[in-house]
Amino acid sequence: MSGSDDSLFAPPEAAWQRVSPALVRMRRTVLLSTLGVLALLLIGLEVVLDLPVWLWPVTAAVVLGLAGFTWWMIGRNARRWGYAELEDELYVTRGALFRRLVVVPYGRMQYVDVQAGPVERAYGLARIQLHTAAPGTSAHIPGLRAEEAARLRDRLTAAGEAQAAGL
Amino acid sequence: MTEDFPPPPSREPPPDKPFHRLSPLTPLVRGSIFLVAVAATTWDDLRTGNLGVLGVILLTVLLAGAVYGWASWLRTRYWIDDRELRIDTGVVYHQSRRIRIDRLQGIDIVQPFVARLFGLAELKMDVAGGDKEGSLAFLPLAEAQRVRQVLLDRRDAVRRSVQPSSVEDASPEGSPSWVAPDHDIAVLDLRTLLLSILLSPETIALLLAVLVFTLSAVFVGGLVVAPGLPVLIGFGLVVLRRFSGYYGFTVSQTRVGLQVRRGLFDRNTQTITLARVQGIVISEPALWRPFGWAKLDVSVAGAGGTSETDGGPSATTVMPVADLAAVHALASHLLRGHDVDVDVDVDVAGIELDLPPTSATWLDPFGRRFMGVGMGDDLIVSRQGWFTRSTHAVRHARVQSVRLSQGPLQRRLGLADVHIDSPPGPVHVRARHRGAAEARKLWEAEERNAKAARLSRL
Repeated sequence: MSGSDDSLFAPPEAAWQRVSPALVRMRRTVLLSTLGVLALLLIGLEVVLDLPVWLWPVTAAVVLGLAGFTWWMIGRNARRWGYAELEDELYVTRGALFRRLVVVPYGRMQYVDVQAGPVERAYGLARIQLHTAAPGTSAHIPGLRAEEAARLRDRLTAAGEAQAAGL
Repeated sequence: MTEDFPPPPSREPPPDKPFHRLSPLTPLVRGSIFLVAVAATTWDDLRTGNLGVLGVILLTVLLAGAVYGWASWLRTRYWIDDRELRIDTGVVYHQSRRIRIDRLQGIDIVQPFVARLFGLAELKMDVAGGDKEGSLAFLPLAEAQRVRQVLLDRRDAVRRSVQPSSVEDASPEGSPSWVAPDHDIAVLDLRTLLLSILLSPETIALLLAVLVFTLSAVFVGGLVVAPGLPVLIGFGLVVLRRFSGYYGFTVSQTRVGLQVRRGLFDRNTQTITLARVQGIVISEPALWRPFGWAKLDVSVAGAGGTSETDGGPSATTVMPVADLAAVHALASHLLRGHDVDVDVDVDVAGIELDLPPTSATWLDPFGRRFMGVGMGDDLIVSRQGWFTRSTHAVRHARVQSVRLSQGPLQRRLGLADVHIDSPPGPVHVRARHRGAAEARKLWEAEERNAKAARLSRL
């Protein structure tokens, strides 16, 4: 089954450029810190409310199970992000469960955003967002190394100006 | 996109240009609701000559309002020169708004009910790349039409001289020879309008409600009828809004585009610039199909996604109800745009639509048989919906981006979706639940077609 999937979401010519592995590390770190806070809260709650002892392992199992699943999904999801710059358009693919592949002509781009939050900056990452006149386009790429994001933005902006087709 | 026009250093109006004023009846029209309210509450007191405290307060407020309205009218002046429209307003705080004439997208003439009684109209300026709208309210109707024509003529003159071949607003060089300066191409007759309004889902809901209430009145007693009243009033309001909104619906061809005029109480005039049309939707509600009727909506760049939410008429509607043939003709006209001399295939009805594979029944057991997608030399068309069958069509040259998507269930069944992204509006061409290989082929083909169409325009 995975063979047919790959052909459905295959890149047009060249291979996909994948996002930085630091994205996985960043997301998993965020997951672990959230988990830590959650664990403290739950422990506090059970101590304060003096809940029965059998609840402890049950909560722990549920929380750890969810965390494990998220951990696994983060890896799967990050591996499926990809983009390919062609002569006239940008291809972006994403999603492990719900898969997407969008092709955005450079000429249709209205503007390009590069964003980096504090956590992303700590990992040297940035995300890039492409805007066309259609809100449905939703082409963004997270987890780019900062210099790669800047390069892509400049490249896209230049190509967009050269081929501007507007509406 | 939205850089502001640099304001001149001086606040003073251009000395060599005489200014214009709005109609002196403006304060009367603006305050009419208040006037009626005051008259209604104090009428008895006024007649007996015995004003209560409330009456005195109301009359004072009315007087103050009249003075303010008059001052406001005195303070409101506008100028039109070759490059800009300038509107100065404000009694306490002065405001000067300048609208670049070459940025005007369209000018609508609106006549609210009271203004219409006085023969007045409001001019609404639609400006590219901004939600700051300019408006002149109110002018005598004839003057409003004259000012509108002057502004549109100047705009065309400015655009021709400044940018000979703008890609975004490819205005035609002069008017195409086949277009008569101003003629009606579709008029909605009263009988069709009334019938189409009565044949709406709201009517069925009302009939059901009446049935339920009658039955409950018979079996339980008269008490239950009372809650039915709001339902009736709501229904009446929806019908009335639709009727008054679409009354006298006329589509005509003008030099600048298609003009839509509509409205019973509030007269609305709206111009659709053909170069900005992104795509069309033809809707055929189940109740209309025996009559062969359909409704036509259009997506216009920059107009946003206003839709018929509260039962009222929508700004995207080009024809609220007409024969399918007439709707198709109008749709072709809109899709063709200015490509009059070019051989383009814009016949929506002529494109064959394929059903999704039978495995899609698992995901949409009922809707599958009503879905379809098809591609022509210049169009991509999709259809869906059982109760309201809607057909969306976009020209390859207008496609913004092409998207392929697949959820986990679709993956199990070997299906995928293809979406064509268009600017905000009612149009959304989508091919849902196609076989994966077919979806990939469709996606690639549409990307190729869109690219070819885009490049041929550059």
